Amino acid sequence: MAAAAPQPEGGKALLGLLSGLARAAYYGEAGIPEALLREQLYPDTAPREFAALLGKMSGLLKSVASADMDLNQLEAFLTAQTKKPGGITTDQAAVIAKFWKNHRTKIRESLINQSRWDNTLKNMNWRVDLKSQSRHVDQINAPVAIVELELGKNGMESEFLSLEFDETKVSHLLKKLSEIEENITSLTQTT
Amino acid sequence: MSAAGKAGSPPYSHPVHIGESSLGRVSFLGTRLPPEVEAMAKGVRDLGKETFRKLLKVTIGALEGKDCKECVWPIAEAANLSEEQLAVLLSGMYTLLREALRLPTSTFKQEVFKEDLKDLRIPEDFITDFASVVFGNRRSLLEATILKQGNRLPAIENFKWRVDVAISTSSLARALQPSILMQLKLSDGTAHRFEVPVSKFQELRYNVALILKEMNDLEKRSFLKIQD
Repeated sequence: MAAAAPQPEGGKALLGLLSGLARAAYYGEAGIPEALLREQLYPDTAPREFAALLGKMSGLLKSVASADMDLNQLEAFLTAQTKKPGGITTDQAAVIAKFWKNHRTKIRESLINQSRWDNTLKNMNWRVDLKSQSRHVDQINAPVAIVELELGKNGMESEFLSLEFDETKVSHLLKKLSEIEENITSLTQTT
Repeated sequence: MSAAGKAGSPPYSHPVHIGESSLGRVSFLGTRLPPEVEAMAKGVRDLGKETFRKLLKVTIGALEGKDCKECVWPIAEAANLSEEQLAVLLSGMYTLLREALRLPTSTFKQEVFKEDLKDLRIPEDFITDFASVVFGNRRSLLEATILKQGNRLPAIENFKWRVDVAISTSSLARALQPSILMQLKLSDGTAHRFEVPVSKFQELRYNVALILKEMNDLEKRSFLKIQD
């Protein structure tokens, strides 16, 4: 295979190819056209050969990502791939391993996001005010928290929710959140 | 008291500053007496104690946010009051109480209130009744209602949550990722449901704890309070 030549540029080109694939598949960005990838990274490779390489790499990446392989699993998987006829070279395996090491967390997160369809809490902002006076009350002098929650779906315009809390309400909410926290901790500890 | 007031002007009006008591202090109702209070003070003198008390009760109901449309007519009929008289009395009593309740009891004293009403020539008996509303045990309830009626953003009325763990998805064989589903019911009647990733949840919890701390700190700094 032409791309198997141990040229120093080969590793860089493959890394670029994997990044290009990940951009479209996992990071929700516009994919880079196949022709452009070839032109930029593998100008000397024939289109057919390049298409084969692209197919192989995206297949491998999909397997690795979907199983969210840890380093041991990855090593076993890649070793098997190098021994398979029509598989990959050890140099390519090293590049894939390097790529995965750097992108694993981000890709996993993005895959989890892909299966989230509800509105998600995207951001929050808050402000604490001291209510001083109003039309019918000369002196209020009570602290009040204004909280803005940004809720939205991926790729859609967010909705902003503005809420008001007095001290009791904040402490009540905090109690509820602590309950949730305890539940999550107990869940993640037993698994 | 000047007797040279124009026809129709109330007998309690002073020649120089309306609403200023004999001690030179400005009435709690302000330098310009609200016209409805002025008219009420005049009309209330002809009322019997029984009728006055009934009307006062209706006014308190209104301050508490109750709908009192139905219950006023029998009172008016029994006391032989016209619709106009009734409107004048109720709106005047309402404004008087509302203005009095607006002021904190720490600085607004009962004697001052009574003195101001005396200047309006409201009968002694009625002054006692007014004072018992403003300074009696009903006050805290009325204050709470008034605060509630104020201008405010919606608050959370009901908060439900669920912790989900995604086991497997179309793109991830073993996800095992917890996330929180929250549902908020707000005081404006709307409901909102959304998912919170664990990382965001930690951020939310941290911030809510921080808000509480800031509010506690603020309470300690009493110098921020407006004081007369």
